[in-house]
Amino acid sequence: MKIFNLLVRESFIFMTLMASIFGWFFRGLFGTIALVGVVGCQFDGRQSALDPKGPVALAQYDLFMVTVWVTLFIFVTVGGTLLWVVFRFRDRTGREGEPINNNEHGNPWTEVALIGLSMGLLLVIAIPTVRAVWFTETVPASPEVLLGAWYKGPLPENADEEILTIDVIGYQWWWAFHYPQLGITTANEFAIPLGVPVKLNLRSADVIHSFWLPKLAGKVDLIPGRANWMWIQGDEAGYFYGQCAEFCGSAHAYMLFRTEVLPIEDFFAWAKNQRQEALPPTDPKVAEGMKLFTEKTCVLCHKIQGNSLAQGVKGPDLTHVASRKTLAAGILDNRNSEGVIDPEIQARNMDEWIRNNAVQKPGNLMFYDPMGGLKDLPPITQEESLKIVHYLQTLK
Amino acid sequence: MSSACISPVADKSEVPPTRSGLGLIRPDASRGLIDWLTTVDHKKIGILYGACALFFFLVGGVEALLIRLQLMVPNNTFVSAQTYNQLFTMHGTTMIFLGVMPLSAAFFNYIMPLQIGARDVAFPRLNAFSFWTFLAGAVLLNLSWLFQAAETLGWFMPGDGKTDIVPAVGWFAYSPLTSLQYSGCGTDFWILGIQVLGVASLAASFNFIVTIINMRAPGLTMMRLPLFTWMTLITAVLIIFAFPAITIALAQLMFDRFFDTNFFHVEKGGQPILWQHLFWIFGHPEVYILILPGMGIISEVISVFSRKPLYGYPMVVFSGAVIGFMGFTVWSHHMFTTGLGKIATAAFALLTMGIAVPTGVKIFNWIGTLWGGRIRFSVPMVFALGFIWMFMMGGFSGIMHSAAPADAQQQDSYFVVAHFHYVLVGGLLLSLLAGLYFWIPKVFGRMMSQKLGYWVAGLVIAGFNLAFFPMHYLGLTGMPRRTHTYWSGFGWETWNMLSTIGALILGFGIVLCFYDIIRTIRKGTPCGSDPWDARTLEWSLPTPIPAYNFAQTPIVQSRDSWWHHKHTEDFDHMILYEGAEPIHMPSQSWFPLIGALGLFIFGLSMCLHQAGIPFTGYGAIAGLVIVAFAIICWALEGPGGYYLEPKVPFDKTLMRAKNTTVACHPDL
Repeated sequence: MKIFNLLVRESFIFMTLMASIFGWFFRGLFGTIALVGVVGCQFDGRQSALDPKGPVALAQYDLFMVTVWVTLFIFVTVGGTLLWVVFRFRDRTGREGEPINNNEHGNPWTEVALIGLSMGLLLVIAIPTVRAVWFTETVPASPEVLLGAWYKGPLPENADEEILTIDVIGYQWWWAFHYPQLGITTANEFAIPLGVPVKLNLRSADVIHSFWLPKLAGKVDLIPGRANWMWIQGDEAGYFYGQCAEFCGSAHAYMLFRTEVLPIEDFFAWAKNQRQEALPPTDPKVAEGMKLFTEKTCVLCHKIQGNSLAQGVKGPDLTHVASRKTLAAGILDNRNSEGVIDPEIQARNMDEWIRNNAVQKPGNLMFYDPMGGLKDLPPITQEESLKIVHYLQTLK
Repeated sequence: MSSACISPVADKSEVPPTRSGLGLIRPDASRGLIDWLTTVDHKKIGILYGACALFFFLVGGVEALLIRLQLMVPNNTFVSAQTYNQLFTMHGTTMIFLGVMPLSAAFFNYIMPLQIGARDVAFPRLNAFSFWTFLAGAVLLNLSWLFQAAETLGWFMPGDGKTDIVPAVGWFAYSPLTSLQYSGCGTDFWILGIQVLGVASLAASFNFIVTIINMRAPGLTMMRLPLFTWMTLITAVLIIFAFPAITIALAQLMFDRFFDTNFFHVEKGGQPILWQHLFWIFGHPEVYILILPGMGIISEVISVFSRKPLYGYPMVVFSGAVIGFMGFTVWSHHMFTTGLGKIATAAFALLTMGIAVPTGVKIFNWIGTLWGGRIRFSVPMVFALGFIWMFMMGGFSGIMHSAAPADAQQQDSYFVVAHFHYVLVGGLLLSLLAGLYFWIPKVFGRMMSQKLGYWVAGLVIAGFNLAFFPMHYLGLTGMPRRTHTYWSGFGWETWNMLSTIGALILGFGIVLCFYDIIRTIRKGTPCGSDPWDARTLEWSLPTPIPAYNFAQTPIVQSRDSWWHHKHTEDFDHMILYEGAEPIHMPSQSWFPLIGALGLFIFGLSMCLHQAGIPFTGYGAIAGLVIVAFAIICWALEGPGGYYLEPKVPFDKTLMRAKNTTVACHPDL
């Protein structure tokens, strides 16, 4: 009878406590959701891993959610027990005389049971983890994803049997993207076709960088001396944000990039345009800008296909610089409110970048390169800068 | 001249001047500056460690607040990119090597010998050397700030023109960013500073291991050791296995920078990835080196304030050992994004999940200890309960990281920052605060303010959660770590602002705690020798603790022997005491300090040599000569020593705990 009373009393206390905990928990949860709504914060932010748009990111997200549910379960059970124990066994008036079992040194079966339970819960995470490792680290190779099956355009020999490959090269503090099969080179912005897996070969020119495009895939590092790779696929057309995720020196925060997922036909058009060389200028003003581009030593580091003097390889390829929506590795946005490139904004950004890059991106090597950066040269005047901009804007 | 001929004295000040084996007068000041500089007493060295650790906690905390202020709003220009990179590098390095490890060392030094009934650690002069070497490394590392200030003022310019004099390569210092091509002499300050700190940690660890193995009181078998002493032992073993890896890596990096070797230069056939493996095979055990002492403290505190023996004692000890062992098998989970390949990724993911099991065992057993107890919510207990809760949350995000493909999104994002701060601040810092509130009354004989203590606990726990919980969200929505700024429009503004506010609240809580510590030491309310009604041997001593610790060597018959001694009449469990006889005490020495000074001169000269200051190469050689000189003199001076007449019987009233019936000392 005594035991029964005790049980009733204890379970009553326990239930009250659990109810209040859960009440508190859900109030907190709903409160948070309401707060999220109020401050306009969403899980589908520009660079959010919680809004996957491709199979790799989706696999990673699904696995993450498995870990969330398992740990939430442990949180509620173990945390609830902890709260109940602390509440139930608090020292309160009336317990002074109560004997304490001072010889209680544990129970092996309790330990074994809890260890077994923990291992079981970990197994729930372990199996999907191993499956996801295999999925994300195996390049899809079904016949319909090979270049020969879908790409319309000139291809080198044997490329029919390969999937689309992009060589990503990290530099302090910008990105180069080469499409060896398509004969395209671009910088800081690249395009991939919708719904087709793409293999990225990740290489570094100097220190370690990390390629992170959260909506399409988690990161893989670009390490000097290692041939890393990953595959990505975009299942929704759009403009995606990414950035370097491994600390790579003073301007690490300024090493951004953009990816455009284009419907197949748009991708063909984009690729066709990117393959074009720049034509010799006919407009004398443009020719003047091109001359300054040489005189101001820009040609030593930048390449413009079709301009035989501009064959530098240290800096980004500028053959189609005017077709990019951002400048300076993503930090200057050329778009207007409708998301289209605005030539005026672009001209302003280019001028700002040519003359004030040390302010816009402290540490950048265009200015600070010890082997002859702009810091050692007389400053470029606005007049000169605008002429260069005029030339660059023809490079679409 | 043998010291054995000196007759026992009641106090050190009565010892006549003696000559060492070198023929020099030994330092014998019993108070004042010279006493502190030459002391070999583990209690004084413990206090020195603690004071320095708390100072560097403040330094690291200020660095953290500057970081948070910079990130408060997007596109902030509060500090420059380079300064920001230096701040996060020094924040991490300072907190780990100059804050947490020495504060743990302070507890090891002060508490562990008392818990095992010893007079001192096994090698008192080596102990002093460990402390001074730690201080040498700490000062060396932070001296870079002064040189940076001089550079800013235009008084000083490194020869290579690189202006990062404070290290700016991250606490992980990934090659090749650390090569001469990409970083300045700041990297040398980091290399030399950590290398010197490693010497201190290794020396201290050997000392602790020998002490625990050899100097336990009679009857204090390994399975009767207090949990804190067990964790000290495991931590020390981890240090001596983990630090050689970083020592080698640092030596290789130093050779690459100073002597043009090719360990990490890929263009000459080296491999930068080698650094990551060497660093993390040190770095992951280092995580457990940091947390295990905290777990030891928590095990003591929970047991004392539940008034119950630790539930599942053998399991808690064993799980600590398993965690320590497995700590060496999971290093590559820091490298999931480096292209390990499927097999290695899967293997390290599964092993990492495995480590959650012994960690869970500890949490279950702490709950088991609370179960059925009579829980008092004294300040140390509040911190301990906070520890379990916060550490558990950090463990959950740890499990999330172990799922390697999911970790590809989390790695190097703010999610990781949230994770390890939950473990290291929510877990470790709370356990260290619990330890401070728990043992300061024993050390200084004064009680810390309970009221302020609750305020500190509230502010620290609330501020901490506000600062770090939003970082989970920030990381998942794409904010990378180690970026000095970010743009608006990514949905990160609100959470960064909240995080900064939380950090300020946390900082205020810590300042309040430091104020209370200083206030307590100067004029706190005096308390008895056992104010918490505690369970282990250190509480059986009078406060202040005599220089020789135990007047009579205790004979231990059980775990929690002091509890049995006080509360039971059971002669099979209580403490017995050996007869009192004169106690041999070690002499003080200058040579530990001189040796550490040599290491400091060596390190500083190397850094300045890299910065192009003339003649500093000779300084480096001179530093090494001083180290060798100190070691030789140390060996030749001999241990010396004198005898103290213990005061017995000691005052019984000091042993009385509040509200408890005290069984009197059976021998008195």
